[in-house]
Amino acid sequence: MKGKSLFILLAAITILSMVLAACGGGAATTEAPPVEQPTEEAAPPVEEPAPTEEPAPTEAPPPTEAPQASVFIFGRGGDSVSLDPAIVTDGESFRVTGQILESLYTFAPGTTNPIPNLAEECMPNESATEWTCTLRQGVKFHDGTDFNADAVIFNFERWRFTDNPYHFPEQVFEYYEAMFGGFDDASIITSVEKLDEYTVKFTLSAPLAPFLANLAMDIFAISSPAAIEKYGADYGTPAAGAVGTGPFVFKEWVEGDHISVTANEEWWGGRAKVDEIIWRVIADESARYLALKAGDIDGLEQATVEDLADAENNPDLYILRKDQPTTAYLAFNYKIQEFQDPKVREAIAHAINKQGIMENFFGENADLATTLIPSSMWGYNDTIEDWTYDPELSKQLLTEAGFPDGLSEVTIAEDIVDADNNVLFKAGDKIPLRLYYLPISRFYFPTPKEVGEAMAADLANAGINVEMTTEGDWATYLAARREGRLAGLYQLGWGGDNGDPDNFTGYFFGGGAEPIQREGWYQNPTLAELLNQALVTPGQENRDPMYKEAEQILHDDIARIWLFHTRVPLIFSAKVQGYQPQMVDADNYQDVTVTP
Amino acid sequence: MVRYVIRRLISIIPTILGVTIVVFMFLRLIPGDPAVAMLGEHATEENVARIREQFGLNRPVFLDREALKQGDLKGFFNTQYLLYLGRLLRGDLGNSIHRRIPVAETLAQRFPATMELAFFSMFIAIIIGVPVGIISAARRNSVLDSTTMVGSLVGVSMPIFWLGIMLIMLFAVTLQWLPAGGRLDSGIELKTITNFHLIDSLITLNFAAFVNALQHIILPTIALATIPMAVIARMTRSSMLDVMQEDYVRTAHAKGVAERSVLYKHALKNAFLPIITIIGLQFGLLLAGAVLTETIFSWPGIGKWVYDSILSRDYPIVQGGTLLIAFIFVLINLLVDISYGYLDPRIHYD
Repeated sequence: MKGKSLFILLAAITILSMVLAACGGGAATTEAPPVEQPTEEAAPPVEEPAPTEEPAPTEAPPPTEAPQASVFIFGRGGDSVSLDPAIVTDGESFRVTGQILESLYTFAPGTTNPIPNLAEECMPNESATEWTCTLRQGVKFHDGTDFNADAVIFNFERWRFTDNPYHFPEQVFEYYEAMFGGFDDASIITSVEKLDEYTVKFTLSAPLAPFLANLAMDIFAISSPAAIEKYGADYGTPAAGAVGTGPFVFKEWVEGDHISVTANEEWWGGRAKVDEIIWRVIADESARYLALKAGDIDGLEQATVEDLADAENNPDLYILRKDQPTTAYLAFNYKIQEFQDPKVREAIAHAINKQGIMENFFGENADLATTLIPSSMWGYNDTIEDWTYDPELSKQLLTEAGFPDGLSEVTIAEDIVDADNNVLFKAGDKIPLRLYYLPISRFYFPTPKEVGEAMAADLANAGINVEMTTEGDWATYLAARREGRLAGLYQLGWGGDNGDPDNFTGYFFGGGAEPIQREGWYQNPTLAELLNQALVTPGQENRDPMYKEAEQILHDDIARIWLFHTRVPLIFSAKVQGYQPQMVDADNYQDVTVTP
Repeated sequence: MVRYVIRRLISIIPTILGVTIVVFMFLRLIPGDPAVAMLGEHATEENVARIREQFGLNRPVFLDREALKQGDLKGFFNTQYLLYLGRLLRGDLGNSIHRRIPVAETLAQRFPATMELAFFSMFIAIIIGVPVGIISAARRNSVLDSTTMVGSLVGVSMPIFWLGIMLIMLFAVTLQWLPAGGRLDSGIELKTITNFHLIDSLITLNFAAFVNALQHIILPTIALATIPMAVIARMTRSSMLDVMQEDYVRTAHAKGVAERSVLYKHALKNAFLPIITIIGLQFGLLLAGAVLTETIFSWPGIGKWVYDSILSRDYPIVQGGTLLIAFIFVLINLLVDISYGYLDPRIHYD
């Protein structure tokens, strides 16, 4: 009897709540009012509301009703790692910190050109080893403290010195090391001096060509020294959040669920149009898209190909594409004897129908890549002609290389070992030719396995038979790549950090004259020397031809097969206007408006 | 009885210790480590080495035989596992490697979310599954029986992932009756005490939050409860049918005892032993199934969190999460065993 009444009670509660929900409570139930249909590629520019001196009486809200806050809810696949940008490397962290904190420089909207931000200007001396930066005056951190030369110095010293009391040992200031050469004495920045309250001077041990681009990265955003002193190692965690000077102020972070920020009323750039932003974690792509259709969220990043097609035909939604510099590629492991023969590499390059794969798997979300540096960046070499798709030529090249019957098996040229020096593949071993595909979807390879299968089919047409395989999960794959033990052809890609070409070719092929383990043991001392030189050469006009030359070397060497430059699709409700995707760094939200 | 419970509680200790060893070992057997997962495409030798050192990942896992050879007894025990065990005994689950926040803190926030969903789902599975099974058994071979059993077969076979998406499409997108995911709407303020939203909203008499939390939990509950509900219904039916063949049931019928009384008083109590067993086991499966449900409905519980942490090799989270799940599972099974005594007077605990 007891069970029966309990059942009735529960059923009643369930039905009641459904009825209540259907009657109009809750955010999920708001119906989209008719709105203007936006164009697919870009949202129409948002007009500033015309200042009306005396609002028409009919439009005035009832005096008792407070104006409803406008909230922009963005759905994303994962949570931020930390809101202290100096110690993270993931885009989901920067997506949020980019709204709360600001760097001395930033990137001009939709470009990779650094422009002043918290600094009014930074001027180099003749040798480009000293940069004097004039800081913006009257700017305050969200905790009310002043932004000034001391704050800049505090941050840079915290990042650089491993014995700084706020350079916590359990934190990894990885990007500082990567972009400025190392910590302590290894740092290219040898001092940051205060010339006056609003002027700082950076002294470099050598010219660093991408210096301003580095300053513009979200990673090097200036945090409030008072907040770091207050929270210590907890700065950036859900309990503490972040304190910067940006257009939005940290409100709350419910780990794994959402982060919210509110408009900074005092922002020096003018108050943001939206009152609050909420980033909600919806890990599953399909569920994320359905949440957008249900009105639970107003925008999202990354959707399945099917959902994108659906969104294109949905008048209540529109798509923006983030043109971030990315390159997907297919790499050779040079410890495979056959890959040491340029004819074999060329045969593989001619065998893959990149155009066909792009049309089938990417649509408008990618361009063909002919070089590592994307065409949207300076340093791009537009004179390079891509390898044509020509299976017959592939077969001919293979015959010339001594494989008239095609290629299915390869020989290990040198021992391939793991981290503990166990021999995984012994020199002289014959193994099937492998094509490693990524175990997860990445922004540069949204469907790695499917693309791999298409490549395998293309290669088979040219007599090159590969065995499709992968290596564990993402961490395992990365470890294997880093140790140079992906024994075959392997997929990977790159997303640029600061729009500087050094961040592409320099990162991959700069360094010493030795074979680069992480890069499939590729070795090219001439290229490495050229890239190292380009890094310290001042002036974009001087560096540009050097990167073009580097790309030509890579092309002539058939070092790798560059596949695609992908774009990340963003889908928005038609109620949202003014979202501004950036090429690098976090997108801009300050002009976002959400029609109720 | 009390002695039995105490004995069983004590036996949890070696079980949990075993879980820590197995989890610790298997985590470290998977290639790739937190440093590599953390640094991604950027990983350089120096960075990886530094992170490994910072988190003690360069230490031997269980015992340091090299140190012993050199006569360093302290070094022999200065290993990843023993250091972890030492901290565990002091109640410290460690810090997340990637997020650098205490695992216990996040567990305290996320675990109630998973338990709220799991308990609610189990509750629904039982209050629907058991009656459906009883009715099917009582009206064996009727249209009702066939319908419910086919229905439960469909329920058992339905992938949670697919069902979840279908529920969202119907109730959130098309009908717009219920939210597509999350635990609470962003505009709803709720003072958290236990982190069980339904309980907190009732304690604080926050009716708006209660309704909102209820709206959010309905769809994930349906998705999560479907399989255990179907299993329980089928188990109840077959168990009831077995019992109803027994002599004492026939005797009860012969004595003219009302059908209702025979079913509920005589048959059900005896049929309940296997049902309770299956409920205990299903609860474990439910916690495993929560990974998928939490992913689809963006439910911030521990299932998805632990799963993601395996991928990013965030060892302390995986260790803390699995430890807690194992503990709950063992506890539920203890409750099941204790309940046997109440259901069947022939079972004695010494």
